[in-house]
Amino acid sequence: MFKNILRKDFVLCVALGANVNNADEWLKYAEKEMRGDRSSAEMVMTIQTPNWTRTLEIESDVEGKKQALSTIKAPAKEKGIRTLRIENNMWNYFPKLKRKVAVSSSMLLASWMGSDFTNDDILKASSMAEDYSHKFTKDEQVGGETYKVIENIAKTNSKVMWPKILTYASKKDCLPRIYRYYDKEGKLRRTLTFSDIKTFDGHKIPTHWEMIPEDDKSKKTVIDYKSIKFNTRFKPNHFSQKNLTGK
Amino acid sequence: MKFLSCLLMVCFSSSTLAALDVDLSGNIEGQVRHTNNNPEAQDDLFQDWEEENFYLLYGNLNGKIEKDNSRIEANWFLRYSQSKLYDPTPTLFGERDPYFVTTIFTFPSQLVARDMFKLQYKRQDGDHQTESILNKFYYEHDFDKYRIMLGRMYVNYGLGEIFNPVNPFNQPTGLTSISQVAQGNDGASVTYFLSDVHTIQFLLLGDKSINDYEGKIDSTVWAHGEYQYSDKLQLDYVLGEDQNRYKFGSQVSYRLDEAMVFSQLLYRSETSGNKPSHNLWDVLLGYDQQLTNKWHIRFEGGYQKQNRYLALNNFGERFLPTEYFAALANVYEFHPLFKASGTIINDLKSGFTYFIAKGTYDLGNSMEAELFGFTPVSKGDDTDNVAQKLVTTDVGLALRAFF
Repeated sequence: MFKNILRKDFVLCVALGANVNNADEWLKYAEKEMRGDRSSAEMVMTIQTPNWTRTLEIESDVEGKKQALSTIKAPAKEKGIRTLRIENNMWNYFPKLKRKVAVSSSMLLASWMGSDFTNDDILKASSMAEDYSHKFTKDEQVGGETYKVIENIAKTNSKVMWPKILTYASKKDCLPRIYRYYDKEGKLRRTLTFSDIKTFDGHKIPTHWEMIPEDDKSKKTVIDYKSIKFNTRFKPNHFSQKNLTGK
Repeated sequence: MKFLSCLLMVCFSSSTLAALDVDLSGNIEGQVRHTNNNPEAQDDLFQDWEEENFYLLYGNLNGKIEKDNSRIEANWFLRYSQSKLYDPTPTLFGERDPYFVTTIFTFPSQLVARDMFKLQYKRQDGDHQTESILNKFYYEHDFDKYRIMLGRMYVNYGLGEIFNPVNPFNQPTGLTSISQVAQGNDGASVTYFLSDVHTIQFLLLGDKSINDYEGKIDSTVWAHGEYQYSDKLQLDYVLGEDQNRYKFGSQVSYRLDEAMVFSQLLYRSETSGNKPSHNLWDVLLGYDQQLTNKWHIRFEGGYQKQNRYLALNNFGERFLPTEYFAALANVYEFHPLFKASGTIINDLKSGFTYFIAKGTYDLGNSMEAELFGFTPVSKGDDTDNVAQKLVTTDVGLALRAFF
């Protein structure tokens, strides 16, 4: 017990508000730190292969765990396309044609705007705490740093794409640095890494994300956060179909 | 036009100009197509040409001015097409109209579905045609629970990409080689957001085009509701009077775990007035699934009643001459920059089958190239359906740029 108490990661994470012996608490802490209750972010998504690069500029508003609205600001081809999520429903809106399309569950597998992120990532990104059960496994060293490893196994009734996800969390600040996604056969399919931790409005968040598919490691999708405002005050109907189709 | 100008002045006085949110965007596309005629069209329908080239250049310029809850939006559509098919060899009886296939290549030939204000220019000289159309120009204002729109607007709803009978105000373009095209509708719209799950749009539209902009307005009174019953089930309903018929129908969509099924049903009554007519039913069944993260399939099948003896003139309204149809569309992403699609559509009654293939390559810098091909696969045995004989075999290349 005393050994546990004196562990450096315990001291740091308790100081930050997380319970080091409880994987659920650890993830909740990280999620609260990274998302806050409400936030508004500007980011750049870059899809990279050895031969070409494609860049999207995105504005993303989030309230709670189940409401999100993103707008593509550039390039011209996709400019203005909006994606709204309310609870488990998701819609894309194409303003030039005034067309709203419900994203069906069949489309969750599909790539979001040609990136290595899927519609499911956008829809379910916040459900890790609810749809999975969590436990610590053996610490692992990656790139010279030792991480707490949390095994997230999909709950029986949850409908998620990935039956198993491993979270590699830093002992320095309790924030995740790596997510590894495994398929039904237990095969690693893709890896998401976080880096470049910055503080915005008192929240520490990784501002550089890289998603690399295992079947083609020569390509990746990078997200760089340009700015994030926490505790943004949104209008009452900001996350509504009226607002989605009103721009 | 004057009305909209006044609205613009009232809503956006000089003191508020500085706070305006202004946006300008658009696209331009050039196409070249080589086409081979169906021998039956040459023999039976006086379409006496064997093979030709068809050149098309079109674009949209979209402008939006927005302040707080008000916005004005307009779209200027320009199209130039050139081919010898516009200029048939004269007969002993004089000049001839362009060959029918030119209407197919410029589908939708009508960029305004319900047209009171005209706002369009169309001219054909010899072997080329020029069109300039303001196909969107409306004022919109959001109130707390509802939204009004006045002017020429897009009305875009319904899940059907090949056939979408519940929405008579915008033709689906899923089988064509064009993109970024929608039809305008003149009139007013009021949308009530009754709750998070229930919305109703009321439309009061008018059409004078069938009377050459003279005489009476054919009015449309229409309601379209969207009701999300549960996470999985959504019900849409439509009812009203449009083009002198009473119409009502619905769309039901249900999300399965890994797919979506949907159906549409539309009833159209006999036309009001003295013209002899029949009531009509349109039916659509659809299935949509993302099989893998790269492979998407869609099935649409149904029935659309047509007056086949007018079908030669109907290409402006409907793309393919099929009544009992089943269509299967596949889209596969071979590479983040390249995706290919193949659609096969079959007229179940006559056996007529048609195949469409497309390959789209992202050139970067908001530009893309598309190679497309269209061909009948099997001939229909329905000799009455003359429109099927008009379907040509084409291969073409399109270059698109967005700004």
